[in-house]
Amino acid sequence: MATRHLIIGGGTAGMNAMRAIREEERERSEITLVSAEKPYSRMVLPYYLDRSIAESHVFTAAAAVLAQWGVKAHLGRRAAHLDVKANACTLDDGTKVEYDDCLVATGSAPVRPPIPGADGAGVHSFWTLDQCRELIAHITPGSHVVMVGAGFISFTILNSILALGAKLTIVEIAPRILPRMIDATGAELTQRWLTQHGVAVRPGVKLTKIEDARGKKRLRFAAGSDLVADVVIMATGIRANIDWLKDSGITIGRGIVVDDRLRSTVPNVYAAGDVAEGRELIAGQPEVHAIEPTSQEHGRVAGSNMAGTDVRYRGSLLMNIVEVCHLDIASFGAWEDAKAEAVSGLKPDRPAYRKLLFTGDRLTGAIILGPSSEIWTTNDVGMLKGLVQSGVSLARFKDHLRRNPFDIKPAFIAAKTTSALLPETVLGRPSKAPGTTPVAV
Amino acid sequence: MRVLKIVPERCTGCLRCELACSYVQTGEYQPAKSVIRVSPFEGHTSYAPYTCTQCAEGWCMTACPVGAITINGAGAKDVVDDLCVGCKLCTIACPYGTMFYDPATRKAFKCNLCGGAPACAEACPTAAIVYEDVATQDWLGDFAAERFERVLVGAH
Repeated sequence: MATRHLIIGGGTAGMNAMRAIREEERERSEITLVSAEKPYSRMVLPYYLDRSIAESHVFTAAAAVLAQWGVKAHLGRRAAHLDVKANACTLDDGTKVEYDDCLVATGSAPVRPPIPGADGAGVHSFWTLDQCRELIAHITPGSHVVMVGAGFISFTILNSILALGAKLTIVEIAPRILPRMIDATGAELTQRWLTQHGVAVRPGVKLTKIEDARGKKRLRFAAGSDLVADVVIMATGIRANIDWLKDSGITIGRGIVVDDRLRSTVPNVYAAGDVAEGRELIAGQPEVHAIEPTSQEHGRVAGSNMAGTDVRYRGSLLMNIVEVCHLDIASFGAWEDAKAEAVSGLKPDRPAYRKLLFTGDRLTGAIILGPSSEIWTTNDVGMLKGLVQSGVSLARFKDHLRRNPFDIKPAFIAAKTTSALLPETVLGRPSKAPGTTPVAV
Repeated sequence: MRVLKIVPERCTGCLRCELACSYVQTGEYQPAKSVIRVSPFEGHTSYAPYTCTQCAEGWCMTACPVGAITINGAGAKDVVDDLCVGCKLCTIACPYGTMFYDPATRKAFKCNLCGGAPACAEACPTAAIVYEDVATQDWLGDFAAERFERVLVGAH
């Protein structure tokens, strides 16, 4: 009998896992997908929000395509209960799906703080396609949008909101913007840049209430003046969708605890992406990295193992990039590590910023800001990632980088980083192009 | 597979590769848009071109959330313009720093080996860039390591 794989979640991790299974399996298996939504890419929703792409562009697999891939799909259904002894999953409509192995890739959902009015009508989140559609219907030229939360998610839609002709104010409870992505110097530079580009930014303010105000919304704060908004977007964080597994017997810490093959404490149940607490690359400690690249790699590694190819995951690298008003902002690895030796350079007028964090002779974290029109920014973004990922010794080049943290390329090349990186593959073999096996588009 | 073999000792820093690359890739003689970049070494007394290795992992390709990076007929990782939305995930995923982004088109671009007839190799007058059937490797590492301290560090 063919092996029965059950994939719970049709996001990045689930899609990559299904593709890896089809790439790696020796005998055709049965794949069942349970997905609350029709599979699409959340990464590209900001580009649909400002209509630079059509809605059809966001979908990663239509039902017909899933059928062509031999995937039996339960779309619009959620997994409600996992019986790890009976190897069966019950869906929210009572359907029971039996499996030989299963992948939990249920992702995250946005959370809102318990502020009066925060869950009222007309207060939006930006996470799902439906929420994106709602925002499209509400943001009009000249409208005032107030975004609560100055983190990664709100920054991914900043350009889109401006492109729609809206006026934008961002409020943040932390004393600075992007508190989980860059340091205070980077945040200050970014805030100044945004102010210059007409975005009002108010960090360090505590929202206490959202009230209806004659068709608009009035936001009240612990201190400072009220804001009146046409549209309020709560971008106040996300939370992994793991509550439904509470009584399953699977060990859950900050996420589903997985080994370096992405297996949970129940050996035929895997977890990937936002729900998984797995090995981190730099320190080797268990971490939850709710980012797209981790979901991709987790999904591929889990899928390969499910298909019978033994693949060990080296660990996920924390990385984020976002562009606001043509300013690139990116960080890698342990950028916040207080124990690391930090070297930084700031050119406020360009504006450009580099911060390099060394542990011994290795680069273990980095922050980079610079104009997206400068190829040096884009190239340095990649090279900093390569230095952190490879962990090459920079012993000979540290003095030079201390003097000039912007001159990364000669050090990258002379440290033979390329030699260290070339043999590295996630699945232990060259990657295949999308389209040759089931994958996006 | 044929790849761009770089022989840095032969490079004179004439930048013809950058001109040729930008012309074939974008239709403009605009080195700023070249995806092969000549770097100076030893205080501008020697040079070497640097570009995508077409690595086995294809970090850019596996990172793309919409499958906009594929493998073309020449075996090169190639951005499909119609599919790229410009999210820049490829630029943080590529650990070699060989992804590029064009703010005018809001799309990523990279070396695609010109589909099998790389303009840089054709334009190079000293055969510092050769399109050859060899395993891709770190063409510049030894060259740069030898020169790095002599000028950048040794000068102080």
